[in-house]
Amino acid sequence: MSTLVSLRDVTRDYALNGDAVHAVRGVSLDIAEGDYAAIVGPSGCGKSTLLHLIGAIDQPSAGSVTIGGERVDALNDRELTRLRLRRVGFVFQRFYLMPMLSARENVELPMAEAGVPKAERRKRASELLGYVELSHRERHRPTQLSGGEQQRVAIARALANRPGLLLADEPTGELDARTGAEIVALFERLNADGTTIVVVTHDEGLGRAARRMIHMKDGRVVGEE
Amino acid sequence: MRVALATASLRRHQSRTLLAIVGVAIAAAMLLDMVMLSTGLRESFRQLLVSRNFQMRLAPRGTLPFDTEATIGGAGEINKLLRTNPDIEEVSPVLGSSVHAMLLDRAVTAFALGVFPAVQGDYRIMDGLDLRDASDVVANADFLDAIGARLGDTISFATGYDPQLRTSQRTRRLIVTGRARFLYLSTGQPAVALPLAALQGMNGALRRDPVSLFMVRLRAGASADTVGKWVTRNVRTVNAISTEKALATVDERLSYFRQIAYILGAVSLALGFLLVTTLVTVSVNERIGEIAVMRAIGVSRWHVVQQILLEGIAITLTGAFLGLALGLVTARFLNSILSAFPGLPNAIDFFLFQPRAAWTSLGLLAGCGIAAGIYPAWRASSRPIALTLREEAVA
Amino acid sequence: MLIFLFTLALQGTDRAALPQQVPRGIAIDERLAADSKLRVGDMAVITGDPDTSSGDTVRIAAIVRRRADPSEIARSEYRVRLHLDQLQSLTGYGDRVDRFAIATRGDSSTARALAAINASAFGFRAHRSADIAVETSETFRVVSRFHGAIGVITIVASAVFLLCVLLLKVDERRRDIAALRLAGISRSTIMRAVVLEAALIAVLGSGVGVALGWLSSAGVNSYYQGVYRTPLKFALVTSNIVLLAVSLSLVLGIGAGALAALRLVRTPPLDLLGR
Repeated sequence: MSTLVSLRDVTRDYALNGDAVHAVRGVSLDIAEGDYAAIVGPSGCGKSTLLHLIGAIDQPSAGSVTIGGERVDALNDRELTRLRLRRVGFVFQRFYLMPMLSARENVELPMAEAGVPKAERRKRASELLGYVELSHRERHRPTQLSGGEQQRVAIARALANRPGLLLADEPTGELDARTGAEIVALFERLNADGTTIVVVTHDEGLGRAARRMIHMKDGRVVGEE
Repeated sequence: MRVALATASLRRHQSRTLLAIVGVAIAAAMLLDMVMLSTGLRESFRQLLVSRNFQMRLAPRGTLPFDTEATIGGAGEINKLLRTNPDIEEVSPVLGSSVHAMLLDRAVTAFALGVFPAVQGDYRIMDGLDLRDASDVVANADFLDAIGARLGDTISFATGYDPQLRTSQRTRRLIVTGRARFLYLSTGQPAVALPLAALQGMNGALRRDPVSLFMVRLRAGASADTVGKWVTRNVRTVNAISTEKALATVDERLSYFRQIAYILGAVSLALGFLLVTTLVTVSVNERIGEIAVMRAIGVSRWHVVQQILLEGIAITLTGAFLGLALGLVTARFLNSILSAFPGLPNAIDFFLFQPRAAWTSLGLLAGCGIAAGIYPAWRASSRPIALTLREEAVA
Repeated sequence: MLIFLFTLALQGTDRAALPQQVPRGIAIDERLAADSKLRVGDMAVITGDPDTSSGDTVRIAAIVRRRADPSEIARSEYRVRLHLDQLQSLTGYGDRVDRFAIATRGDSSTARALAAINASAFGFRAHRSADIAVETSETFRVVSRFHGAIGVITIVASAVFLLCVLLLKVDERRRDIAALRLAGISRSTIMRAVVLEAALIAVLGSGVGVALGWLSSAGVNSYYQGVYRTPLKFALVTSNIVLLAVSLSLVLGIGAGALAALRLVRTPPLDLLGR
């Protein structure tokens, strides 16, 4: 399988209240197409920061990040935005759905940005919501959905533009165990269908479901299972 | 989708949106009124000046028409001289004076115009007949009401009346042949018009042949400037005042209103700007996390800005349309106050609605709405995504 | 009152050409002096008939500053003072005047003088100056009414604006308020805190507003005094006006803050958090 994501000596530092914080220190990592990797580690070890770097939400202080053969650290803001729109899907711990849009409209949002015609994006949104077993909740607003349902809508949104890479930051962090298990199952199904997934998690179940478990501590990768 | 997002965002906080619209509407109303005030008086006056197609007025040198009691002597000779200029199509000499209608128990004073009825441009006959005879007089409704007279009545007029001694220098009995609307007089001012020679005779000035001004109609295509210079060279006792010069004088005399219009207009715009910018800033601050997520999922910075701007523009334009309607109502009210300005022709409006005024106000407000939203929107969409998400998670 | 216009023509300052009699002095206003470049000591010819160029040769004896008379605003006419008999002679008015101005020793003297004059006056009447002022001040009454109307509209606009802004600012803190309510802080405590904040903002804002208003009025006076060439004050900031402005803004500010806070404390805390 070819390498989809490649990190070489990636470092991320930032200032916090006058002190320098070394969130990620010299991480080198490869994610292959079709991979299902979980990044685990104690709180504050730099997992989320690493995920943000992989997803081109953040820029490294040093080192290189390559997605699909393209060096992300060399792109300008517009190019990065296009990359995130078309090639990366992001799922957040707190769902971050637009509260004033319905479930279907939330899923349509990235497609509208990509210029997909209305009829086509409506159809695809309905399909995606069907995939995450929420067809009956298309017209509901996020405040009318449970936590698990909101997260499933967020996953559907992340898949809207058929990205090659799905990144999830603590996707089960705000969910109960049973609902979290449903999300884990969904990720497994997605990966089986060919989606490359990288998750950051404290959740043991989610970590064990992944084919690779990358351990981080103090901003470094310290091991892999 | 951006329109849908903007609309949904505005409906999320309905009372806030409504209040902002009301605030912008009031600012828009004031702005429209001030735009109308800044141009209305000039345009209204211009329309009045050219209503009877006289493009020039000749007043005693050093004065403006009816500004003083000065007169121009030898009107007949001057009239003949003016008609020798091929660019001058018509000349209407006018004498202004006071006359007193002598009733049994009192005297009523009226402003009198001595005119040549065939060429005059000072009044319009609304009822009855124009002057034909030396013993005819036309009067406005204010005069007829003041003395309780009707068309066909004979009234004794006097000049040089001393109310203390109840004596007058000259009297004359005149027949009311017509009811007229005097174009240049203020509301409520009793007025009459009679043949020029008759009024001159009543003032004991037939020999001097004085008039207060000449109204001059130019031939089509003639240059007012050229004719004005010719008049000034050849008639040393007069000022030639073209419509443009008259407007410039009015501008100067009433420049206070134009300036207050600019100041209050600017204040209204500033108010509208502050309101929209505050609303957009607060709205954006509440949605920092949402905006960061939109950027994270691939929505471009410019599209985020557009969506936020749309909210500001929607409030501004809705408020502006409401404000236009409100502005027309307040303009009428303010105009009714200023119409009581003493000495101003009642045909003058301070607040004249011109479609251009409405478009100007709308354009200014739309520009304001965009300017007000652009900075907070750009700032919000330019925040580092990862840092913002981290801060939101902590918050 | 009749206003006589007469022509002022400079005949140059060649003393050899001057007539034999000593020219009488006249006083001209600053505006005429500036526009015609006349100075004290210059000679001029004045006539009451614009059709003739002959008249009296006079000397500019003084340049006078005009009073701050609102009725003279925007009128660009000049004012000249002559000896009474000279003006009567120039204009052919004869031994006549437009009016007498009378100074009395006090209010009771004024009343007695008025009664005595009107009882025996023939061809004229006596009036108190204040009564004439009222009758001739229609222009200013109109302008005052206009200003009053604009003032009311501005106050209404400001009130709506203030309400809007305070509502927004208090609304912005809905989560804080929700958290406080969930922690057990009572509605009245939150109300008091918000109203106190609104009052503080209103007081500070009033102070800044008064300073701004004072500065603007100084600017307006300076500008218009230059434009109209008058010592008249166009904008006056009095203690009553300051009191009205501060009271209004306090009432509006506190009212708006209270209204906004009331709205929020009545909303269930979980609704404020969006759940």
